[in-house]
Amino acid sequence: MVENNEIELSEAEAEQYDRQIRLWGLESQKRLRASKVLIIGLSGLGAETAKNVILSGVKSVCLLDSEKLKEVDLYSQFLAPPNKIGENRAEISLPRARALNPMVDITSETTSVDDLPDSYFTQFDIVCATELKQEQLERINNVCRDHNKKFLCGDVWGTFGYMFADLVDHEYSEEIIQHKAAKRGPDDTQKNAGETVTITVKRRAIYVPLQNALSADWTKPELRSRLRRGDPSYFIMKILMRFRDENDRNPDPSKRKADTEALLSMRNELVKELSLPAGFVSDALLKDVFGSVAGAAAVVGGVIGQEVVKAMSQREPPHNNMFFFNPLKCVGFVELYGQ
Amino acid sequence: MVAHVAGVFDEKLNEAIANSKILVVGAGGIGCEILKNLVLTGFPQIEIIDLDTIDVSNLNRQFLFHKEHVGKSKAQVARDSALSFNPNVNIVAHHDSVISNDYGVSYFKQFNIVLNALDNRVARNHVNRMCLAANVPLIETGTAGYAGQVELIKKGLTQCYECQPKAAQKTFPGCTIRNTPSEPIHCIVWAKHLFNQLFGEEDPDQDVSPDTADPEAAGEAGSSALTSETTSDGNIQRKSTRAWAAETNYDPEKLFIKLFHDDIRYLLSMENLWKKRRPPTPLSWDKLSGKDDPPAQHSGLPDQRVWSVAECVKVLTTSCKALAEDLKSRADGDHLVWDKDEKNAMDFVTACANIRAHIFNIPLKSRFEIKSMAGNIIPAIATANAIVAGLAVLRAQAILKDEIETCTSVYLRPKLNHRGQLFVPEKNGGELQEMITKINDSVNKRGIKVNVSMNKVMVFQRGKSMNECDIYIEALTPSNPKCYVCAPKPEVGLACNLKQLTLKDLNSALKDGLNMQAPDATVEGKGLVVLSSEPGETEHNNDKTLEELGLNDGCALMVDDFLQNYEVRVRLQHEDEEKNWRLVTDSDAPMPAPKENEKPTNGSNGEPKPGPSRPRHDSDSDMEIIEEDDDGEIIKPPKRRRTEISDEVVELC
Repeated sequence: MVENNEIELSEAEAEQYDRQIRLWGLESQKRLRASKVLIIGLSGLGAETAKNVILSGVKSVCLLDSEKLKEVDLYSQFLAPPNKIGENRAEISLPRARALNPMVDITSETTSVDDLPDSYFTQFDIVCATELKQEQLERINNVCRDHNKKFLCGDVWGTFGYMFADLVDHEYSEEIIQHKAAKRGPDDTQKNAGETVTITVKRRAIYVPLQNALSADWTKPELRSRLRRGDPSYFIMKILMRFRDENDRNPDPSKRKADTEALLSMRNELVKELSLPAGFVSDALLKDVFGSVAGAAAVVGGVIGQEVVKAMSQREPPHNNMFFFNPLKCVGFVELYGQ
Repeated sequence: MVAHVAGVFDEKLNEAIANSKILVVGAGGIGCEILKNLVLTGFPQIEIIDLDTIDVSNLNRQFLFHKEHVGKSKAQVARDSALSFNPNVNIVAHHDSVISNDYGVSYFKQFNIVLNALDNRVARNHVNRMCLAANVPLIETGTAGYAGQVELIKKGLTQCYECQPKAAQKTFPGCTIRNTPSEPIHCIVWAKHLFNQLFGEEDPDQDVSPDTADPEAAGEAGSSALTSETTSDGNIQRKSTRAWAAETNYDPEKLFIKLFHDDIRYLLSMENLWKKRRPPTPLSWDKLSGKDDPPAQHSGLPDQRVWSVAECVKVLTTSCKALAEDLKSRADGDHLVWDKDEKNAMDFVTACANIRAHIFNIPLKSRFEIKSMAGNIIPAIATANAIVAGLAVLRAQAILKDEIETCTSVYLRPKLNHRGQLFVPEKNGGELQEMITKINDSVNKRGIKVNVSMNKVMVFQRGKSMNECDIYIEALTPSNPKCYVCAPKPEVGLACNLKQLTLKDLNSALKDGLNMQAPDATVEGKGLVVLSSEPGETEHNNDKTLEELGLNDGCALMVDDFLQNYEVRVRLQHEDEEKNWRLVTDSDAPMPAPKENEKPTNGSNGEPKPGPSRPRHDSDSDMEIIEEDDDGEIIKPPKRRRTEISDEVVELC
């Protein structure tokens, strides 16, 4: 857990963070200032997440990526200068990331996650990973879990996106607005009726690891009944993750037609495997999953950024445990999987 | 044009983007994010307008700006920063107000889509009308704290920004402010009025001296006070506060004695006021309690410490002197403008509000809290802006793909709703889209052609041929047929006392109430010009009452605003008891009150009250149009009608 930093904010910090301190309070800001964040994968989503986290005023952010900048990244990766194609995405993102907020300590790491020891990940309070394979995500998640560190991951494919959170055993405070009981005093009139008071309550949330969430058993009736809600986003995520694992890459815009075909046949397999109703996972969501579109990266990066703030400040209920952005409906929703 | 990788978008969208021209109004929190998304997506022609300059409190979210940009034009710096993301696009920046003759209907017509990222209702209303007149789709956005909203406005297809009346700004009766404050906000409003009386633009409606016309004190108002020895200088009541203060050379002690002793004694003499209230206690300059007490132990920001009364007096002394110096250094007739970010102005209001609160046994507030309330600060964070701007640009893409019918309003909720939703599309536009897809997927396999059009009444039409059917579905919220802005023949009533309302008052009613910039009014059927926006044409009649101008109950004016290309029929309704004026619309919902004593935020208890909007000159946050939960546990579905939330004043640890 983040150690509670008792040092008061400087005048410069109070000025710069004024509008957010007025929202989440000074205590949250102090907790943020003590937090060390690791961002893995400097895609558009990684850049968006980094921006939001850096602006919030954490202690440090490390950008970890072994990949080189590709032209397609420029659809959403604004931390990387467009003339740096072919260079390491984390390194070239450093100057702009630092300019966002000079009060945050920002570093980069270019080693592949597979070559980093477990102990590397546990030096951070929270890890946000994107563009990794399921196996890699699960490894890092389990390392974090063993050391009681928070883990988030997510991806944006085209305009579709998801986030997963494992905050292990998370304590937080939540503000609840209650209606005041009307007083019946001599000099009290009707005035107080309907007034409300804000009280802060302590709460606790227990999370499950990624492998549980990804292996949710759809034969169980409680999950089966979820199908009635009619949103196939969970399956879209599964298909896209499987595509990446099998092909060692994301769907490629230059192979739009072939990859779409491949995705649709993977969809058919999954539908059979989980015996989903025919037509439940329609084609539409699998047709625009190429590159990562700026608007969608901003949306999902905004959600992940806010979850980092909630997790580190231990204020307000964090999402438990999967968030999906369905661009066809323009809906963003949270569901719990694997419990 | 743009560094494009084929295959990210389908060809149709690629082409539509390449041929598009987009206007972004506002380069604040949402504007910066929108601009980034547009540039990255490859929109080749973008214009951005903002009249504001960069402040340090913007830097926590307006990420195109850095410390070295403070004081510079937002539009210009946003342009320069965004170009570094994609140098192949063309961005034109205007450091300007969007409300200007330079941006007329023909200017708006050149754009495919306008995106609003504004922070005030006046500019929103204006752009709404410009887009209706130019028939350009408008994507209207806003955030307040964790919440936000994206809404499409298109003439003939959706409701407009002004179809539903907005919650009125909270106002306080003058006598509460001047005579009987009971909450901190009353004292804060009073202190801001005092600032304007002494240093700012003098407004007779912002008097700070005891109000002898208080109906509660009727009959005996001040009668005993007038004979009382302590108000031997009672004549100061009849002199303008400014003139009096200037005569005393803004001596803080004299000011203190008048405001916090003599005026309070005077109020005490209005005995009816204190029959059921705890009476105020006049303060003596030389007998201040707690003068020698050391400051209480405090953790938190320095501004979050509540000052003692003695400290307030010290701050009052210093800030009053500094402000008087500032005023003196200016040209004759010039005045100061209250600004929450101006140290002395903020100090002065904090000190005066707290001294007055102390006198009336009202809890004192910290400078931090008073700044929120006096400055109408709406908290703003990067993430909510990022989400709303992301959704807005995705909506823009949908419009370019000819899917405008699917673009329902989307609400970003501060907490999940009962269905676990964080972004909630209005009505069921999204589900309909899904349904259409399914219909197409399954039906097409059988060789039947289905033509689906949205936003029309749902009918199944048979008979074109055996293999074809049309489905019409309503998804977008239609316009209010009685809207006084977007109805085919807009009309509104104006209730007023024709024997009292002058032409000048009418002019301000049209400007403040109907949000017109330069109204021209003629008498319907006669073509007689009553009010002209051309200088010198009708000004000589400014002080004449409407009755004197020959206007009577039931007569109608055709009022026109050239810039907005907007004409409305205004029916005059005479009401003897109407002291000022008010708009009468066909819907029953009340219209915003014309006269605002003040636009405060909610009280310190964090209770979300129906929202005041910010004063038109405030530019601190990104917007306000959200329905807020009043109970954290029960989350309501998004409301169709816009309501506003006030600032979230956060309980601080």
